[in-house]
Amino acid sequence: MKVAYFSPMPPEQTGIADYSALLLPELRERIDVTVVRRGARKPPRGADVALYHVGNNPDAHAWIVDALRRAPGVVVLHDFVLHHLVAGMTVGRRDGHGYLDLMEREHGVVGRLLGHGVLDKRIPPLWESRPEDFPLATFVLEHATGLIAHSRYVRDRARAAGFEGPISVVPHPAWPAPTVSPERRGTGVVVGCFGVVNASKRIPELLRATADVRREHPELTLLLVGSTSPGFDLDRRLQRLGLAGDGLAREGWVDESRLWALMAGSDVLVNLRHPTMGETSGSVIRGLSLGKPLVVSDVGWFSELPGDVALKVAPDDAEVETLTAALELLAARADIRDAMGAAAADLARREHDVGRVADLYAGSLESAVGGGAVDDAVLREVSEAAADVGISANSAEAREIARRLAEVELG
Amino acid sequence: MRIAVVRPQVPFARGGAEIFTDRLVDELRARDHDADLVSVPFKWYPGARVLTQAFLWRMLDLDEADGRRIDLVVATKFPSYLVRHADKRVWLVHQFRQAYELDGTPLGQFGDSPEDRALRRKVQELDRVALGEAARLFTTSRNVAARLAASTGLAAEVLPHPPQELDYRCEGYGNFVLSVNRLDRAKRIDLLLEAAAHDAGLEVVIAGDGPDRERLERLASERGLNGRARFTGRVSEAELADLYARCLAVYYAPVDEDYGMVPLEAFLSEKPVLTTTDAGGPLEVVFDHSTGLVVTPDAEEIARALGWLREHRDEAASLGRAGNAIAREVTWDRAIGRLLA
Repeated sequence: MKVAYFSPMPPEQTGIADYSALLLPELRERIDVTVVRRGARKPPRGADVALYHVGNNPDAHAWIVDALRRAPGVVVLHDFVLHHLVAGMTVGRRDGHGYLDLMEREHGVVGRLLGHGVLDKRIPPLWESRPEDFPLATFVLEHATGLIAHSRYVRDRARAAGFEGPISVVPHPAWPAPTVSPERRGTGVVVGCFGVVNASKRIPELLRATADVRREHPELTLLLVGSTSPGFDLDRRLQRLGLAGDGLAREGWVDESRLWALMAGSDVLVNLRHPTMGETSGSVIRGLSLGKPLVVSDVGWFSELPGDVALKVAPDDAEVETLTAALELLAARADIRDAMGAAAADLARREHDVGRVADLYAGSLESAVGGGAVDDAVLREVSEAAADVGISANSAEAREIARRLAEVELG
Repeated sequence: MRIAVVRPQVPFARGGAEIFTDRLVDELRARDHDADLVSVPFKWYPGARVLTQAFLWRMLDLDEADGRRIDLVVATKFPSYLVRHADKRVWLVHQFRQAYELDGTPLGQFGDSPEDRALRRKVQELDRVALGEAARLFTTSRNVAARLAASTGLAAEVLPHPPQELDYRCEGYGNFVLSVNRLDRAKRIDLLLEAAAHDAGLEVVIAGDGPDRERLERLASERGLNGRARFTGRVSEAELADLYARCLAVYYAPVDEDYGMVPLEAFLSEKPVLTTTDAGGPLEVVFDHSTGLVVTPDAEEIARALGWLREHRDEAASLGRAGNAIAREVTWDRAIGRLLA
């Protein structure tokens, strides 16, 4: 089977480029893969199926979705909320009508009116202010012949959005933990938080919880690694909470090897977000590989992490209190940290092994290419047999046969 | 308890799975359960027939029979475990191996066409759904459980079952090494014959019949083993028990066997087993220099190991007795107790 593979690739600095760099060698051991050069308009001749990696960043993915819209294929949906991508491919190309039409199709007249408000600059861009309420995934789903999702959450949202084709849930592959010397940034328990520093990563809540925990555990250090979003006044918040001194270690953007070293030197990893765009987190996956206990938001893909691996914090009114309790527990109990870390490493080996992920990809692609013919053959034989014994198409018996077929995902 | 044991039936064929399920029904009845066997013919070719034949099981209604509730269903083999029941217990002998480890080998079924590739995936999907909905999931060996976990992510409890009932006994450690097997290539009887060619003191008795017999007899003749390699064909239960009772040791070296009853039968006769490092299920009871000998699948290695047993009969007896202690632990009382718990 020949697969045309559309994805950002290194040296592009995106999580999906890193993902493909990890996956491709294993995938190529199982199927014949051609990586399509950036900007290609359609799959190369002879490809049995095209595989499109789609995320929310228009700079990285607009050309891929353009190709998808010309030649439908299997989509790897890295984010469910695609408003930013769609805005880049419509408004960003001076196609306001396209944006309005899509808003209306997904969200009715209200959506169209809101779209007008955005185009007329009367309300802030929805892709910045409320993207989770207007995902605009139909823009991609309507051209997908099959979907690969990394979570049941995205699968269920795609189904709810009306996608009827096959969907495979394939875990995000885990990078093998490199042999690095852990870089510790505190003398007591170090709580590491990696990624862009902003409100949707719940940094304000994390800072408040850390300040609370440090009253009982003054030796605890919060390590924040990642660039600060424009407009997010981290320093002022730190001053106000008394975290500007010993309680906080700060690093901006760091390269991959330093990232691993700092993660390895952390005792607990915190990865919060709300709202979720349906994404997985490369940081969490790295944390699993390193065997670190995790604290995550109880949303989207993060909710699906097993309870013995991650403590989950709902983004509700009690968020800071719950987060404080989770950090206090992990700060006080090395045995729980060890048990959760062991469970995390086991999960990385068991579920997120890149070879296993490549097997699942191969299976999804094989089903996408030949599955229709197999379904047709099964349905033909079953319906002929049913007709032979006098079962008519709309009878109760036919409905029962259909129900049984659906139960075992045949036809 | 009213129990339906379900199995697919390939008409005119009878093998280990049939013997196992027949016996299971007998043993359940012996414990005052109202047990019966339910079978449906199975044909796995051509094309999508493997799926439509499997689907027949999904249409069965085994909730009750003749107005009386069926309490529990025990399924053993693809595709019988597609059957629906609130208390479906699967005691898995093996999956449809052509869709798994045999794919891409001469024993595989599915080709390289997109339809065949997708068909194989559909079989795997069926397994995930049908085995995933079982109330309890057992396998007959750790080897089968490991394959299941690797292919579907499903965890199973390992539940071995005893071998066929024979008049097991030990009447000493004679001069011959016994092979008990259906004669096909995967059982690697040829390795035993090649080993005999390396060791002029080695006598072998090959019990069983099968498609590889002619080739094996020719090989024995070419290696000049006349008189030292005896093919008995199929033997009666009494004859088999007698061969077990008198042999020096038992050779059993199939490729990646699911479970394999022969080692337990040998142990019940207090005989050591020679197997190979790639034999699969047998390695769960045959331990090197503990209950037998484990060597690489190489004729010279096998000859050397069997020669050692011939020269060390006391040690051979000791290994056989150690195996006997393991085999005696595998009882129907224990197996059925766990199956129905």
